[in-house]
Amino acid sequence: MHSQFNINALSILSLAAVWEISGRLFDSVLIPPLTKIGAAWYKLLLGGKLLPNLAASLWTMIIGFVLAVLVGIVIGLLMGRFRAVEHFLDLYVNSLMSAPTTAFVPVLILWFGLGVQSRIAVVFLFAVFVVIINTMTGVKQVDNVLLEMARSFGAKEKETFLKIILPAAMPAIMAGVRLAMGRAVKGIVTAEMLLTLTGIGAMIMQYGSAFATDALFAVILTILIVAMIAMKLVQMLDRRLTGWKVEVAVE
Amino acid sequence: MVEIERVSKSFYKTVKDRTTEVQALSNVNFSVHANEFLSIIGPSGCGKTTLLKMIDGLIPYDSGKISIGGKQITAPGPDRAVVFQTFALLPWRTVLANVEFSLELRQINTRERTEIARDCLKRVGLGDFENHYPHELSGGMQQRAGLARALAVNPSILLMDEPFGAVDAQTRQLLQEELLELWQRERKTVIFITHSMDEAVYLSDRVVVMTPRPGRVAEVLEVPLARPRITEDVRRDPKFAELTNYIWHSLKKAMDNGHAGV
Repeated sequence: MHSQFNINALSILSLAAVWEISGRLFDSVLIPPLTKIGAAWYKLLLGGKLLPNLAASLWTMIIGFVLAVLVGIVIGLLMGRFRAVEHFLDLYVNSLMSAPTTAFVPVLILWFGLGVQSRIAVVFLFAVFVVIINTMTGVKQVDNVLLEMARSFGAKEKETFLKIILPAAMPAIMAGVRLAMGRAVKGIVTAEMLLTLTGIGAMIMQYGSAFATDALFAVILTILIVAMIAMKLVQMLDRRLTGWKVEVAVE
Repeated sequence: MVEIERVSKSFYKTVKDRTTEVQALSNVNFSVHANEFLSIIGPSGCGKTTLLKMIDGLIPYDSGKISIGGKQITAPGPDRAVVFQTFALLPWRTVLANVEFSLELRQINTRERTEIARDCLKRVGLGDFENHYPHELSGGMQQRAGLARALAVNPSILLMDEPFGAVDAQTRQLLQEELLELWQRERKTVIFITHSMDEAVYLSDRVVVMTPRPGRVAEVLEVPLARPRITEDVRRDPKFAELTNYIWHSLKKAMDNGHAGV
């Protein structure tokens, strides 16, 4: 743990150093030195543009993400438990899982208009399929002996679902949720760049077309940091819910 | 108490799109008396686990009849509880919560649940381990937890599916002794699946010897060893050696007749 942290720090520091030096050596518009990005970031913060935009983007993202997780878990559980549901849906789930979600943006605009609903829908589509597939896999991998044990002691379908299948599939479900978090971040930025220029995505487009690369990089760095924090939060939730699995892995 | 009458069972096995019918059990006939310790012994694949699952009501049989106290079995019931070969403990639950599982399904309130579970853990010698997770325990201790979970619902019939097959030899002997002590105290009807001849003789009142697939009853033997049985004495008793030897020959004969390659 300790050494991993040290190596992480070393990695970030060396990248920062290379970046700073090359920024100063070459054209500073294409690769603005970190110090300049820092200054631009500070200015954005003070200018009161970054945080409100970030908050707006995050809200949209969280709504889409939570919907995707809820819907994804329910569909995944049903697909994993009932063969008929699986055969009915797996064609769509598998093809949509690997289809470029961006291609659906025009359709979503037609369906939901240019408002926040469309952006939520994009985030949802980006995130939902990994949750479905991971949940389904988790359910199918539940040890048959445990199901037999539950039935032997008189468990009904609902009890088997809640007391055996759901907890047993939880590590797989959480793996899906983790992946979905990353996809949700991609989804919100994509939606804001392609659909309606709002939030963080609008800032990227604006600074990009104005060649304000220092501000552009400042926004991108912000997204990276937010994504990292979001992943950490999901990881903490994962530990809480499936701590028993982590302990097993450590042994 | 438990009557198994002319029970047969076939499975359909599909290997590379070719489905074949495999007969697991053929015309199995025997009965289990109340408060009896009965072992079923037979070569691997003779369908003894299948038979146990059918007595539990987990899987249906094709023909014949299994009844308990005159009532035909169609589903798992509160009068029976299984101890599983691979323990079947829930890895995300503590030992106590694992034992409580069987009680939760019977709508017993939390306080009473914990009380019963603690008592059962004490009876199997796990009183100090209630807050451990299964993976923190040895195989022998995990199976004690499995036994406690079965005892918690206070079944009149205990179905044990090679319960000590997955633990080392010393632990196995220890668990056998403990099980006998428990049985001596509580006198539940036990149906015990094993492939160990020593184990069958040491524990049982009667031993059912089964043939290779399709499983049939080769013979039913009385074990005339006095109770309570003390390991050291029993194992030195000439009758013990004689009986194990007899079962070995009976199994061998059954296997030769069934021309199963061993």
